[in-house]
Amino acid sequence: MTDKTDFLNGNVACAEGALAAGCRFFAGYPITPSTEVAERMALRLPKVGGVFIQMEDELASAAAIIGGSWAGARTMTATSGPGFSLMMENIGYATFTETPIVIVNVQRGGPSTGQPTMAAQGDMLQCRYGSHGDYSVIALSPSSVQEMYDLTVKAFNLADRFRTPVFLMTDETIGHMREKITLHSNVEIIPRRELKEGELPCAPDENGVPGFGTFGMGHNVHITGLTHNEKGYPATDSAEIHEKLVRRQVRKIEDFRNEIADVDIVNPDAELVFISYGAPTRTVRQLLNDNPDTYGHLNLRIVWPFPDESLLAFKNAKAFIIPEMNLGQIAKEVRQHTNIPIVVVPKLGGALHTPAELLKAVEVAKTVKKPVTEVRL
Amino acid sequence: MNLEDWYRQDRLPHIYCAGCGNGTILNCTLRAVEELDYKKEETTFISGIGCSSRAAGYTSSDSLHTTHGRALAFATGLKLVKPRQHVIVFTGDGDCSAIGGNHFIHACRRNIDITVICMNNNIYGMTGGQGSPCTPYGAISTTTPYGMQEQPFDLCKVAEAAGANYVARWTSFHVKELTEAIRVGLETPGLSFIEVMTQCPTSFGSKNKMRQVTQMLDMFRDNAVLKAKADRDAAKGILPSPEKFVVGQFVRRNNPPLGVEAAK
Amino acid sequence: MKLVVNERRCKGCNMCTKVCPYGIFQEGKRPGSRGYIIPVLDHPERCTNCRLQKLYGRQLCGMCQMICPDQAISWIDEKPFEPQKVVIEY
Ligand SMILES: Cc1ncc(C[n+]2csc(CCOP(=O)(O)OP(=O)(O)O)c2C)c(N)n1
Ligand code: SF4
Ligand code: SF4
Ligand code: SF4
Ligand SMILES: [Mg+2]
Repeated sequence: MTDKTDFLNGNVACAEGALAAGCRFFAGYPITPSTEVAERMALRLPKVGGVFIQMEDELASAAAIIGGSWAGARTMTATSGPGFSLMMENIGYATFTETPIVIVNVQRGGPSTGQPTMAAQGDMLQCRYGSHGDYSVIALSPSSVQEMYDLTVKAFNLADRFRTPVFLMTDETIGHMREKITLHSNVEIIPRRELKEGELPCAPDENGVPGFGTFGMGHNVHITGLTHNEKGYPATDSAEIHEKLVRRQVRKIEDFRNEIADVDIVNPDAELVFISYGAPTRTVRQLLNDNPDTYGHLNLRIVWPFPDESLLAFKNAKAFIIPEMNLGQIAKEVRQHTNIPIVVVPKLGGALHTPAELLKAVEVAKTVKKPVTEVRL
Repeated sequence: MNLEDWYRQDRLPHIYCAGCGNGTILNCTLRAVEELDYKKEETTFISGIGCSSRAAGYTSSDSLHTTHGRALAFATGLKLVKPRQHVIVFTGDGDCSAIGGNHFIHACRRNIDITVICMNNNIYGMTGGQGSPCTPYGAISTTTPYGMQEQPFDLCKVAEAAGANYVARWTSFHVKELTEAIRVGLETPGLSFIEVMTQCPTSFGSKNKMRQVTQMLDMFRDNAVLKAKADRDAAKGILPSPEKFVVGQFVRRNNPPLGVEAAK
Repeated sequence: MKLVVNERRCKGCNMCTKVCPYGIFQEGKRPGSRGYIIPVLDHPERCTNCRLQKLYGRQLCGMCQMICPDQAISWIDEKPFEPQKVVIEY
């Protein structure tokens, strides 16, 4: 088998990436602009020995892929804002029970039903903080159809390596755009580490990650969303066990920020530096093409955990310009890691930033003194 | 394997209050599983949230204690990925019919090959005795201090109408019949729903003139009407008195199930 | 076989007193080691399972064990009930 070239939309590419990564169970509920992922999976999964099921809602979709994951499969669902909100409780359950799953959010304009057919990046903080309690997650953000494919594969590997839900935080633009892509004949698979005999099901290894006690393999594990000890048994009234568990689960991701980080750094010597992820990256790249060697660019393929050390690559930076299709969600995170002035370039409504709009932000950035300045387009 | 091997011994005694019927239902379930000679690695217990749902934690094979109301959705995913697994879901009246009502209906409609054991104590036990969709009309709970003003669900009728292949109701008093029903349910492909009327002496009995556990058992014994008798009465036009409820097998049918390994 | 109530598990609910066809389980008066009032056994040598499990090679009756919500009732493998005790009864 050789690599295959095709011309696909982002959502279909995402489904193909999932299949290439070995995803064999998909549970979902239709919602614009994510539905093509489910439709493609419905068509393709039965042909490769997998199972597709349309659930009664997104609570059930999230629950079903967690159940499927414990049965040993790589599992995925895809949704958009309203469905993502419904998934929040079970996302927390997946983090606390350390269940590898992949959730695709093809973002649309919110809040509420908002703009079903328009692109947005408004769920970036919900993805990081939306469920209750303290936890960490991993989130990826593709900016092309090829990346929809590649990062979906990567999402599965990260989910299994870190035993955590992994989010593919894309948007309507990338989901519905058609581009030429290469479908790989084989992709790298990093499998989850199975629980060893004699190992306790919730005792961490040197990476802070316990072995996975796949159901039906004779491990006889008990998995609960209650605070649990290393045996997996409820231990809800011990402050010590609770704190140790929560901290360990946060650290198994946060301590590996640099290993997880996936960024592009362009023109690190520039003074004015764009930071972007997802669809706005495309406009930034266009601007950089038109004005070579003028601006720096930090493109984030992984947004969470935030790759803060990559900010240090821009030694001469006088301002970070951050175009987002929200009111500045990742800009807030950047602010926590730097004293360099930030120029926030929010755009709502669904249209991408134009190069002219970014140039307007550049003009502001040239003279900026305040820590945070918002550009009104 | 003998019966004792099906209990997770290092977690006993369990957290249930003295006289809570959930322990009895656990006994009957594990006895049925033992009678069928299931293997541990082929048997999975899944539950939601509530006192009833804690039962999954006292079984010795793989068990998944999930979120409130969602056990059937988790179970659906697990069963579809591993159809060889015998999947048994423990749920409560609130878990199954309030927050999880939609999943319940759809699991029955899909007729997924899962056995659901609903411990119906007519109350939210774990949270201290609030009214549930199964609290009888007029009964006292902390959120119905003047008596429940809504009609309760008949869970068996819901399951039957929604498409479950096997539906039965017994009580925590009828241990032999219950064990047999669970056994038949486990052997019937498709969704098997077994509702067990059970006592929550702490939050229901104490407020509803049944301070002693044994009074609740007497009530189950005296008010349970066998299905055959209820059918005869109905044919004669005799209306059932309101405190009575019907026990027995309501349906056993052979509609196509979901999640059963295709015969090769 | 000898019928035993595990005091570390029994919570004194008396559900067992409702099901034994011989009325072997009777409401107790004395608290056990955990403070619960443990039921007392009235002539347990009459228990069907005590008498016949060995003969039939499987458990018989077992109503008390099934209904006991705390998994406190079991049989241990010994012959404690002297035959003459049964004789005395009649
Ligand atoms: C989403 C959510 N809402 C509310 C609760 C609180 N809660 C825990 S158990 C319970 C009721 C359980 O009632 P039931 O299913 O009848 O079980 P029982 O305790 O009576 O066996 C509730 C409301 C919760 N855990 N999660
Ligand atoms: S509160 Fe009720 S249902 Fe819960 S353990 Fe106690 S008696 Fe059982
Ligand atoms: S039924 Fe069990 S727990 Fe209850 S009194 Fe009898 S032996 Fe004790
Ligand atoms: S096994 Fe039967 S006869 Fe023996 S004590 Fe228990 S209920 Fe009574
Ligand atoms: Mg209840």
